[in-house]
Amino acid sequence: MAVTPQQRLAKDFWPYFRQIALTIIVSILVVALGISTVVMYALGLFGTEPVAVILLLATQAVLSGTVAFIIYRVVADPLKEILAAVIQVSGEPTTTTPPNPNDPRFAKTGFKDVLETLYKLASTEPKKQPAADGQIAQDDFIQSALNTTVCGFVLMDKTHQIIFANKAAPVDIDRNGQKRLNLIFNGTDTLESWLAACEQSSVHAEHVWTRIPDKLPEEEGRRFFDVIASYEKGAKSEVVLSLVDRTAYYESGEEELDFIAFAAHELRGPITVIRGYLDVLQSELGDKLQADQVELFRRSAVSANRLSGNINNILNTSRYDRRHLKMHLVETSASAVYDVIRDDMAMRASAQNRLLNVTIPQDLPTIAADPASLSEVFGNLIDNAIKYSNEGGAINVSAIVKGDFVEVTVEDHGIGMPGNVVSNLFKKFYRSHRSRETVAGTGIGLYISKAIVESHGGTISVRSEDGKGSAFIVSIPTYASVADKIKESDNSNVGIIEQGSGWIKNHSMYRG
Amino acid sequence: MAIKTVLMIEDDRFIGEMYARSLKKAGYDIDWMIDGNDGLIAARNKPYDLILLDVMLPERRGSDILESLRGGEDLIPHSKVLVLTNFEQDEESRATMEKRADGYLIKAELTPSKLLTIIEKLSK
Repeated sequence: MAVTPQQRLAKDFWPYFRQIALTIIVSILVVALGISTVVMYALGLFGTEPVAVILLLATQAVLSGTVAFIIYRVVADPLKEILAAVIQVSGEPTTTTPPNPNDPRFAKTGFKDVLETLYKLASTEPKKQPAADGQIAQDDFIQSALNTTVCGFVLMDKTHQIIFANKAAPVDIDRNGQKRLNLIFNGTDTLESWLAACEQSSVHAEHVWTRIPDKLPEEEGRRFFDVIASYEKGAKSEVVLSLVDRTAYYESGEEELDFIAFAAHELRGPITVIRGYLDVLQSELGDKLQADQVELFRRSAVSANRLSGNINNILNTSRYDRRHLKMHLVETSASAVYDVIRDDMAMRASAQNRLLNVTIPQDLPTIAADPASLSEVFGNLIDNAIKYSNEGGAINVSAIVKGDFVEVTVEDHGIGMPGNVVSNLFKKFYRSHRSRETVAGTGIGLYISKAIVESHGGTISVRSEDGKGSAFIVSIPTYASVADKIKESDNSNVGIIEQGSGWIKNHSMYRG
Repeated sequence: MAIKTVLMIEDDRFIGEMYARSLKKAGYDIDWMIDGNDGLIAARNKPYDLILLDVMLPERRGSDILESLRGGEDLIPHSKVLVLTNFEQDEESRATMEKRADGYLIKAELTPSKLLTIIEKLSK
């Protein structure tokens, strides 16, 4: 075990000990000699036998000096050797030779064992030597591992200078030889602003940014990272950045011709033909068909239409998740939006034996909506109402005006939901335990419906009672209430979302 | 303006035949081009009342055709243009095409009878 040099070194102890010991020995000798002198003087021996007295005192001085010297050597020598050994293993600078345990004089007294024990205890020191080499090897190993991974790691010191960056980290060196992090953050939510906030008020903090590019769109070799930052005030590496290279995942969203759009194109081709010819055949065959054959046609058409709706949901979800979902808001009415899907919904309801009652007054104030997207929302809600209601059940679609909003309600009298289901309802891929067992679906319909409604600056909510049915309420702003903002932003939803503070909290999707 | 002559630029044979059949039955004169280059040439050589324009086309994309026809000077001032596509373009391309066309429709949402209704509306 290494003896850690303290403020006073071990080698400083020996001179101190020797001085004290010698002082005490000399003092005792002098005092003893003094006492003998006084005793002899008192007995009057100085007058009668002066020579004998002087010889006696001289003998006492020599004898007691010799005894003291022998005792001193016997007691202090081992201590001196032990100290020399301690000084040796502690690594203190010294010129003394450490005691050799193999010295024959040590073997006799057993001091050899003492020294060996001491050296053995200290031999963790020599053992540590290879451990230190191992440390270096391990550092190399970690460094090379860090340089092999596609994830970037960046360490910054208290002044936020980069003190380490692995190969994958988007770091280059500027003209002054300073390492510089290349990340282009969105808006005001930057690493700098976060660090400034941390400096002010945090001891420990973490933050995550997603989809952060290292270069501008037109630059070669652009990469995208999810950046995870950890801040630990006062630590040697005060800031640790882990950068997960998500280029493969995100770049598809950046490319004009991405996979999902292509896939949708390929799927929509055959659907177009199926829907088209079903329509053509139905109208051309008309009265030649028997009632059950008409029903078969209708079911085929309903299925093709639903397939088409599912593709739209997938496309919109993919856009929304990549922050590319944009609405083209125009002045329209709830009933005009519903007209887009009116025939389709009537057919779907009757094909599945539900009673669909739609009462959307024509004279409601106009709304600001993207008719194609909002009609998909209504379609999703009615589809759900059909799915989760019983054979022959009634589904009511109604609309009223409420302040600056038009509220459209889709109500069924079906199986309803318990409260714990309601709270998860708008999550992506969420499907209630019951619906997993009994009803087909993907769990993106309500997720994307909420996204679309919120992109209109509206809200979607649900009222439900287990076993009694559910009502979904969609609130869309009246056109009059948002007309100015829409005109400012060229009919996109950017204006109403970014300026209509309080309407919608999550507008991060518009940054894409 | 009554619509009588129609140029359809469409590379999907089944879809093309489906629309062509319905349009002919409804009494329109229809020319059908399959690739984008032929489509552009046809559009410039003959004053059609209506052009049905697909986006994903061989040789030249629908967006390029529309750019050539209406990007600068309007070379087809007498024609209506309906973009019919199943392809989800990026926002900018879509917005540009919407500005230059008289309608932008997703084919999967459009039965032949709905298309005829829309063309009738354009005629008025």
